[in-house]
Amino acid sequence: MKKFLQNKKLLSAFIIVVVVLAVLGGSVSLRNRRNTPLLIQSLGNDIVALGTRIVDVPVSLVSGGLNSAHDILNTQEENNHLKREITDLGQTKARNSALEKENRQLKAALKLKDTLSGYTMVNASVISRSPDTWSDLLMINKGSAAGIKKNMAVMCDGGVIGRIVEVSAASSKVELLTTTDESANRFSVEADAANGKTVHGIITVTSNNNLAFTQVVDGRKLKAGTRVYTSGMGGNSPKGLLIGTVTDTTRDSFGLSDQIRIKPAGDISDPSVVTVIERQVAN
Amino acid sequence: MTTLRKWALAIGLFIALVVDGVCALYLHQFMTYGSFAASSVILPISVMLIGLFDDTNDNEIWLALGTGIVADIYFYGIIGVYTVFLPVSCWVCQKIARFLPEVFCARLIIILLGTAVFVAYSWLIFNMLGITTASVHVLLMSILVSLGWSIVFFILLYWIWGNLAQDYPFLVDLNAYRV
Repeated sequence: MKKFLQNKKLLSAFIIVVVVLAVLGGSVSLRNRRNTPLLIQSLGNDIVALGTRIVDVPVSLVSGGLNSAHDILNTQEENNHLKREITDLGQTKARNSALEKENRQLKAALKLKDTLSGYTMVNASVISRSPDTWSDLLMINKGSAAGIKKNMAVMCDGGVIGRIVEVSAASSKVELLTTTDESANRFSVEADAANGKTVHGIITVTSNNNLAFTQVVDGRKLKAGTRVYTSGMGGNSPKGLLIGTVTDTTRDSFGLSDQIRIKPAGDISDPSVVTVIERQVAN
Repeated sequence: MTTLRKWALAIGLFIALVVDGVCALYLHQFMTYGSFAASSVILPISVMLIGLFDDTNDNEIWLALGTGIVADIYFYGIIGVYTVFLPVSCWVCQKIARFLPEVFCARLIIILLGTAVFVAYSWLIFNMLGITTASVHVLLMSILVSLGWSIVFFILLYWIWGNLAQDYPFLVDLNAYRV
């Protein structure tokens, strides 16, 4: 011990390691506990986000041009698909409108003001992504000034892709659904089983980075293709946001519970424009 | 103008930080091999190149530390990944540069080693914090994919940082030495 204390280089290295670990632990704890980051952190985020937006303009123009060329090549196929879809659209819209009206009348009759399914939306562009492969974080160009708050659900291409984990004044961080972060909040979800009952559970990520519907009492009743929605029971996201569709049901490695694999509905691999969902009912 | 020259390297690193995030966003889908993905390592390569090209300026270690803090806050909201790796890699590269031949290939080898260490270090930190549960096999494959991409980034960045680090050293006014 005396030798260790006398060796200044070794002692300095030890102190540096302790300081690094303390800073690391402190910043993680701060990120998880606080709803908004420290002012200096928020300022730093917004300054870099501003720089990112400037760099993003020419890059997105080039990327957009390439995507447009790709779209033109697929136009015929897409056109045929849309023609098939459009025949059902008119009837679906009419039915939707009638149901919306009926829903409003029933809510008025019951004197219900806000329900779990009510929400408002904020559109934002993805400006950056964390450069490593281990954390699934995106940066978007809207923050608390646009009404965004921590833990709000984020959607892209019609499906939930993640949630807000940090909010600065003019930018926010989104943690994707595929994150394996053990401290991340999980979406509480539900799906309609083959026997007509509603099955509840939460969304987790399996070891091979697939989404799974877990903590389900009887998952065997969920057929492939069943749609999985948020249940609104978690307190952060509204009810009825599409998460994905069931692909298959297997037993976990211990053979104790069902593991239902889900194909995400949202574009998780290449999101460019996202919608942040604010639920109307308070937590 | 003199002040701007002194801070040119810092401005360059800020741009590298921004471009790193934008590249990660747009190239993410191409930076994969099977189910293994590469990290975008523009910022670590930039700092290591600065250390290799200018081995006498201690200010650059402090610049690397500042860049690391900003990068950590912006990308993760936690401090300890870039904040540790960037100054340490800059310092190590400055030490190595004193006996390393000043040729492209020798520097490439150091950068590849540095990239492998960076990917492994970030994996270790994120595993420790519970942010990832990736196995050692996934780590090794990710290092291999990242090394492939780091060769591309190295070729693109070599002359940029070579010129910047030699002509505009951080907080040093070269004009003061010219008669």
